[in-house]
Amino acid sequence: MNVVLKNIGKKYEGREEFTLKDINLEIADKDFCVILGPSGCGKTTLLRMIAGLNSITEGDLLFDKKRMNKVPSKDRDIAMVFQSYALYPHMTVYDNMAFSLSMRKERKKVIDERVMEAAELLQIKEYLYSKPSDISGGQRQRVALGRAMVRKPSVFLMDEPLSNLDAKLREHMRVELVRLHKALGTTSIYVTHDQTEAMTMATKIVLMNDGKIQQAGKPDEFYNRPENIFVAKFIGSPTMNIIEGIIKEGKFVADHGLIEITPSPNDALKLKPFEGKLVSVGIRPERFESGGEFGDTFSATVDVVEMLGKEKILYARLDNGSELVISTPGHFEYAVDEVHSFGFDVGAIHFFDTVTGLRIN
Amino acid sequence: MKKSDKKKSDKKNKLYLSDKQPLSTVGKLMLFLSYIVLFAWALIILLPLADMVVSAFNGRQEQYIMLNDNFQFSLKHFDYLFNETLYLSWVKNTLFIAIMTAVITLIIVSFTGFAYSRYRFKGRKASLMAIMLIQTIPTFAGITAYFTMHSVISSIAPFFTRQMMLILIYAGGGIASNTFILKGYIDSISTELDDAARIDGCSSMQVYRLIIMPIAKPMLAIIALWSFIGPFMDYLLPRVLLTNPESYTLAAGLFTLINDFRTMNQPAFAAGGLLTAIPIVALFIVLQKQLVSGLSQGSVKG
Repeated sequence: MNVVLKNIGKKYEGREEFTLKDINLEIADKDFCVILGPSGCGKTTLLRMIAGLNSITEGDLLFDKKRMNKVPSKDRDIAMVFQSYALYPHMTVYDNMAFSLSMRKERKKVIDERVMEAAELLQIKEYLYSKPSDISGGQRQRVALGRAMVRKPSVFLMDEPLSNLDAKLREHMRVELVRLHKALGTTSIYVTHDQTEAMTMATKIVLMNDGKIQQAGKPDEFYNRPENIFVAKFIGSPTMNIIEGIIKEGKFVADHGLIEITPSPNDALKLKPFEGKLVSVGIRPERFESGGEFGDTFSATVDVVEMLGKEKILYARLDNGSELVISTPGHFEYAVDEVHSFGFDVGAIHFFDTVTGLRIN
Repeated sequence: MKKSDKKKSDKKNKLYLSDKQPLSTVGKLMLFLSYIVLFAWALIILLPLADMVVSAFNGRQEQYIMLNDNFQFSLKHFDYLFNETLYLSWVKNTLFIAIMTAVITLIIVSFTGFAYSRYRFKGRKASLMAIMLIQTIPTFAGITAYFTMHSVISSIAPFFTRQMMLILIYAGGGIASNTFILKGYIDSISTELDDAARIDGCSSMQVYRLIIMPIAKPMLAIIALWSFIGPFMDYLLPRVLLTNPESYTLAAGLFTLINDFRTMNQPAFAAGGLLTAIPIVALFIVLQKQLVSGLSQGSVKG
């Protein structure tokens, strides 16, 4: 089922300002759409509006071109997985999974078949008759997924379902969820604040901040072509380096004057209208080079070295004290207090308009 | 070899396992004193109870209970209670009032507790405050109003007895205070459960009935027990409101066995008191599982 949001806005009772405003979004059938954003950006509100748990103040919510604004949750053909799993503590795992079907007066035999099928897929057959309090967090997570699955809904909604799991289990469940989505093919909307989850699972990412959509698109677009400085800084770990400066005679010169960058011919064309204007350069930590195509190098002192095994993260200081984060392969030798000169991979430089924050190239 | 073994086990026995610091001499003395106080306290509570039980079965006791060593097992006081007094109808009255009170309180409190916890409506805070403030006025202060209310209602509906008035008074008082307790308990149940239930296809009424009430069972059990015990304990209201000995509750009825020299029979009073405990104990046993978890949870959540 495809889900379309048209100019959706939300204002809570007793609040002065709109929490969400002018949200336009189209989620295609069988998409795995991840809504990503820092806490308080309104992503959970948006999900709850799609679920029908919060009312929609303005705009239209369309499921397959049908307006859903006033349809109660239970008739929207959706299923939701909550952050706290929200398993009914007084029912067994089996009853938890069967509950939604029995509320719909489904026949006992059909219910049993569906529950068993889901239990099989999620490998939770052994504890179908335990209470939720007797099973571990990872198992509860599976039960919550199973409860959503048995209904065979047209849309899956998930509100940070992995945030209560430990790191190892989260990694495992991430893969499992992708596999599940592949097997079921249900349109899924997944809310998270974790960019790793978004990048690894999504077919489409929607990044939100301050109640607005910052960028929507495929994961690799987010990494390689961020639309504005917020997106550039939010996606990627360690964070992208942002250097503020000015365009002078077709060249980028940093405010502190220690860094000069000659843009590639393509970028130079796009930068022409910005001659003499404030521009920010973004460069990912792994896109520094020792030489540099146009010989634009700068020297910096290595301040701290973080050894992660496959890579080393260098926190390097320029002469005026400003910091850059540089990532190098783990087998390269760097020591604290050494001075090195670095260059840029010119093809991987992002130019942003400092005033509006928007991407230039 | 053997010797060293023995030494080892000695050492094991002497290991100090408590997490608290060992007591000093003064500490030991204080501990001894506190035990004395506690034992004295226990005796003060237990001795009268023991005396009641013994007297109830003592055939040597006559109209007045005497403290002496004469004891002869007999059930004659129970015999007197059942055959010479209205004891059985008092039991019947009390059970009727207690059960009705518990049922009415439970039904209404479960609704009000759910509504106050889950819905935001105009006057929510104000009405909660009002309920709390009205609690501070003793029930008995309204006695004249109760009389008037009863005569007004019974003139329209003649089947409305004084006992029913009593039920309304008990239930009304219970609803106010128990609403608070239940609201607090339901507040601690995550609202994500409601959301999940709604998506699973529940109406508001079904959320209440199928999700919230089963989870709140321990607290409901405590409320049921309290409102059930209330009518057993209260003497003043039934004594004033009920005028006919036939319609007395246990507390009011049994009192006639010790305050009037014409009907005076103290051992029978003791026997009646002993039997009064039976229905309460029975209910306690039935609700035991819920009560224990409810009490311990309540203690954690304060």
